[in-house]
Amino acid sequence: MLGSAAAKLGQTLLVLLIVSVASFAFLKLAPGDPVSIMLGSDFSQGAYDQLVHDLGLDRPMAVQYWHWLAAFVKGDWGTSYITSQDIFELAVMQALPVTLTLAALSLLVALVIGIPAGVLAALHRNSWVDVAATALAIGGNAFPSFYLGIILIWVFGVGLGWFPTLGFVAPWEDFWQGLWHLVLPAITLGAWYVGLIARITRSSLLEVLGQPYIQAARARGEPGWRVVWVHGMRNVLMPLVTVIGLQLGGMLRGAVMTEVVFALPGLGMMVTTAVLNREYIVVQAGIMLTGLLFVVVNLAVDQTYQFLDPRLRRRT
Amino acid sequence: MQTATIQTAAPLLEVSDFSLHRGAAAVLDRVGLTLRPGETLGLIGESGAGKSTLAMAVIGLLREPEVGLSGSLRFHGEELTGLAEARYRKLRGNRIGLIFQDATAALNPCYTVGAQIAEPLRRHLGLSKWDARERAVELMTSVGIPEPRLRLNAYPHELSGGMQQRVMIAIALACNPELLLADEPTSALDVTIQAQIMELILERVRALNSSAIFVLHDLALGAQVCDRIAVMYAGQIVEEGPSAEVLARPLHPYTRGLKSCVVELGSEDLQPIPGQVPPLNAMPEGCRFAPRCPKAQDVCRRERPAPETRDGRQVACWFID
Repeated sequence: MLGSAAAKLGQTLLVLLIVSVASFAFLKLAPGDPVSIMLGSDFSQGAYDQLVHDLGLDRPMAVQYWHWLAAFVKGDWGTSYITSQDIFELAVMQALPVTLTLAALSLLVALVIGIPAGVLAALHRNSWVDVAATALAIGGNAFPSFYLGIILIWVFGVGLGWFPTLGFVAPWEDFWQGLWHLVLPAITLGAWYVGLIARITRSSLLEVLGQPYIQAARARGEPGWRVVWVHGMRNVLMPLVTVIGLQLGGMLRGAVMTEVVFALPGLGMMVTTAVLNREYIVVQAGIMLTGLLFVVVNLAVDQTYQFLDPRLRRRT
Repeated sequence: MQTATIQTAAPLLEVSDFSLHRGAAAVLDRVGLTLRPGETLGLIGESGAGKSTLAMAVIGLLREPEVGLSGSLRFHGEELTGLAEARYRKLRGNRIGLIFQDATAALNPCYTVGAQIAEPLRRHLGLSKWDARERAVELMTSVGIPEPRLRLNAYPHELSGGMQQRVMIAIALACNPELLLADEPTSALDVTIQAQIMELILERVRALNSSAIFVLHDLALGAQVCDRIAVMYAGQIVEEGPSAEVLARPLHPYTRGLKSCVVELGSEDLQPIPGQVPPLNAMPEGCRFAPRCPKAQDVCRRERPAPETRDGRQVACWFID
């Protein structure tokens, strides 16, 4: 147990190191010279050299990388030269909670719709229910989130006026208002996940229901709902959690689109704005944070998996 | 002495003219059986003969509309084929128990064995969580699981195959069922464990004064452990009678064939049955065994022989010696 945890940690650190090298290289490879941008349009060669030296840009790459990494770990991520905002503050304190809230709500929407849809499809295999659930799954996957978002805004925001169309209210400041503003974005982003979850639930449940232990539960006189939801779904949880974890990248990608469509000040919005403004230092922070998020969630999924499957647990 | 009381008691299970169809194919074809209280019956035959299917149909895990049923299955005189599912559920695991062939696959990997033993106790006997645990410990002791209190919280994968089968037996017998169905209960186990488990099941069945149907493919084993034997071939019962007599003097050519398939020490007389069981969708019209039977005549290929009573046995053959 301890050995495997240590190996997992080492693996995680290695992934983070690769992400950090990549985002450092990204900054170095990006077009444009930060020194001349900082000096403005009129400067002498002496002042230029002086600033290059002050910023440490004349030192070897490895040293520069090391200094950059050390500063990053300490939370010293630099300052935006457009808004003069501290980037750590912008990314971690402001953008990250928005994206996390959106992702969590979307996942909730996807689970609440996807799991029952998958179970119904499995129990009524090859009937119209199955066809409808499959159509829902494929539809959710096929609709790009920017398109679905716009349709939802058009119908429920503009047309019916049920939900606000744009903007973000922090649910931790005004819970109901915040939730209200997140309904359409969460459906938009969750729609893609609904299909995935419904399909995995359906196929895993069909496989599990064919197992002898399901017959054995029925042979003990367990009622149908308990056979499915207790004996069956308990075993479906494991593949489900794995797939949810694996597809997290897809959710972060979808979050970028959704945040832009609904003007939510999350990580995706932050990175998009920074790219348009060519503010590479913010983009870099976005890459690092996304990478970190991805790795942490995967680690969490891994731990959850061990918790869910008794066969992977080891007694001490 | 015991036989006499058995003969007079009202039947516990009566299967008559019972057929089970999957699509157009008759997996069970006009099967008839009677089991009295306290009696043990061995269902013997090759794989695909329909033995397990019959057991699954009796406990109601194969029902309409999944399969087509006709004829009658009576338990204590109550017709089971059309029984409401809610009523059937009260029989399963309660008055009819089932032991599966492969305990490793038949125990849910995500729940402790204690929870799985306690389940029928709580459902059918209405025991509290605490009482069910205590009763589970007793049951585990009765099936020879050492340190039952410790094992209560074990997951199935933490137990050996033999221990898992003991857990399975404890579950099947938890509510003292009147009828125990054991579907090849030892064939997934090591040879050294097989005899132990068989002995354990018999001992528990006798202790509870229950009846049992053993699904087996070994004629000699069946004759050894059961009062009566029913030999099945291609979904039909071809011969049924007291174990010792069936084994000593088989009347049906198939039973005779099964017997001479068994290698006996010092015997050169190993005669395999030629050919194989016909596929379900291409069953011969007359006797299903006719294509492989050394004695088959025209009448065998034309017409199905009806079971005939001979010396207290039922035999379905045109040419009983």
